[in-house]
Amino acid sequence: MKKSFSAFLIAAPFILISQPSYAYLDPGTGAFLLQALLGGVAGVLVVGRIYWAKIKGFFRGTPAKSPEAAQPSRIDEA
Amino acid sequence: MKPDPGSFRDPSGRVYSRDGHIYRTVSAAAAEEFDAVRATGIIEELEREGLVVGTDEADAGKLGLDIESGGRVLEHERIPFVSYYYEWPFSALKAAALLHLRMHLRALSKGVTLKDATAYNVQFKGSQPVFIDLLSFTPYIEGHIWEGHRQFCEQFLNPLLLRALLGVPHNAWCRGSMEGIDSGELSRLLPLRRKFNPKILMHVTLLSRLQTLGAGDRDATLETMSMPPVLPREKLVRMLEKLESWIEGLSPADTGKTVWADYENDNIYDSEERAAKHEFIAKTVTEQRPSLVWDIGCNTGEFSETALKAGAEYGIGFDFDQNALDSAFTRSSKKELALLPLFLDAANPSPNQGWNEQERSGYNGRICADCVLGLALVHHLAIGKNIPLRAVVHWLMATAPLGVVEFVPKNDSMVKQMLALREDIFPDYTAENFEAYIKEKGEILGKQQTSKSGRCLYLYKRR
Repeated sequence: MKKSFSAFLIAAPFILISQPSYAYLDPGTGAFLLQALLGGVAGVLVVGRIYWAKIKGFFRGTPAKSPEAAQPSRIDEA
Repeated sequence: MKPDPGSFRDPSGRVYSRDGHIYRTVSAAAAEEFDAVRATGIIEELEREGLVVGTDEADAGKLGLDIESGGRVLEHERIPFVSYYYEWPFSALKAAALLHLRMHLRALSKGVTLKDATAYNVQFKGSQPVFIDLLSFTPYIEGHIWEGHRQFCEQFLNPLLLRALLGVPHNAWCRGSMEGIDSGELSRLLPLRRKFNPKILMHVTLLSRLQTLGAGDRDATLETMSMPPVLPREKLVRMLEKLESWIEGLSPADTGKTVWADYENDNIYDSEERAAKHEFIAKTVTEQRPSLVWDIGCNTGEFSETALKAGAEYGIGFDFDQNALDSAFTRSSKKELALLPLFLDAANPSPNQGWNEQERSGYNGRICADCVLGLALVHHLAIGKNIPLRAVVHWLMATAPLGVVEFVPKNDSMVKQMLALREDIFPDYTAENFEAYIKEKGEILGKQQTSKSGRCLYLYKRR
C-alpha cells in the first residue's frame, strides 16, 4: 500500500498532465529515461531537470519546445 | 540464393533458404561478437535444452554464398512452420514472452545480453517456443540499459495486458500494427486506477510519458543519451525477474464461455458419432501417411491429436475462437503434442505484409500441408459468410493435396439454427453439389456418414 502511494506521488504529474505522444521521433528515449530513473540518482536528476523545465513552461504559458518546432532546427544544424 | 525478404533489419546477417535448408550469413563485424558470445557457452546450453534453434557451421564456398572475409555461414535446424505473433493465441504469446525473459536472465549470468526483443525472433515447435536469431545475443556491458525494453513491451507485454486487463485479444491489432501496441495507446484505454498499479505505471504509463517528455525536449534527451551507463546489472536482473513473475500470473480477463470452447463437451454429436469421426481420421492418416496436417477449424485440437497419434509428424490447428485456441495450446503442451494452434479467420487469412508487402508471408505463401482437415467448417464459410460453396471447396483443396472435409446438410440442427433468422439464399448448398465441386479438382477416395442428420466425411485427393 505504502509502495503504491509513493509510486502515485511520483507518477501523478506525469500522468495527469496529458501530452500527445511523438513516438516516431526517437524510439528509445522513453525506455532510456525509465531505466536511467531506475538506475539511480544521476538518472533522476536528468529526468527531473527535463520535467522541471516543462513545469516552468506550463506556468509561464510557454510550453516546452514542441517536437515539430525542435526538429527543423536539428535538421538545419546537421 | 536470394535472402529471405523478412531478414533485412539487422545488418549483421541475412537468412537464406534452399532445398529445405535454412542458412544465416554473419558479417565479419558480427562474427567477432558472435564468437565472444559463443565462448561463454550460453548458446550451446540453450540449444541443448531446445530453447534456441539448432545451429551448425556451414561452408559458404560450397553453398555459393558470397560473404565478406571474416564472415560466417550458419545452418539452422528447420522450423516446421513459420508463424507470427499476431497469429498466436494468448497462451502462446505468454510462453514466448517468458522464454525471452528467462533466456535473457540466463544469458546475463554469463555476461551476455539480448540487443532486441522482437516477437518475430520466436518461433514454435508444437507448444515449445524457440528463439531463432542467434545474432541478437551480444556481450553485456556493465551498466548498459536493456535496449529491447520498449520493443518487449510493445510486442509481448502490451498485447498480453490488452487481453489480461481488458479482455481484448491482441491478434487484430498486432496484425494491423505489426510492430506492436504502443504504450501510449494502451495507456489511454486503461482506467485511471489501473494506471497507478506500480507495474503498469512503470512499463506502460511512465514509459509512454517519458517517451513524450524526451521527444518534447530533444536537447535534454541527447544529453541524457550521452550519459555514462546508468543501470547496474542487479537492477536490470531485478527488472527482468519482476516482469517474468508478472507475466507468469497473467491470464485472459474474458474467461467466460465463448461459442466454441465448450463445443467439444456439449456439441450435438453423440459419442458414437464422434468416435466414428475419430476413426475415419485415424484410418486416413494411417493409410495415407501425411507428415504435416493442417486442421482448419481445429477447436480444442481433439481431431489434430487423433491425426498425430495415428502417425502424422506435425499439426497446425487454425481457429478463430480465442478460448478454444488456448485450450488447444494447453492440450498440446500438457500432452507434449507436435501441435501448434494458431488464430485464423478463414474468411480473412493473414496477408503478405510489412515492407514492400514481402516482410511477413500470408496464408497462401506458407501453404505446406500434406493433408488438411476441414471438419464442421464448410457451413460456417458457405452459409455464415456467404462464400460460394464451390469457392470454399476449392480453397480447402488448394491447401493440401489430400484432405478430410465434412459436409453438414441443411436439415442438421446447426445449419437450421444458422438459417433460422435469415433468408435461405443458398440453393446450391447440397451434398450433390459438394461432391461435384470436389470432383472438379480431384477425386473422392472415401465417404462416410457420421450423424443421423446426414453429416458426411469425404476423403479427397487432388489431381
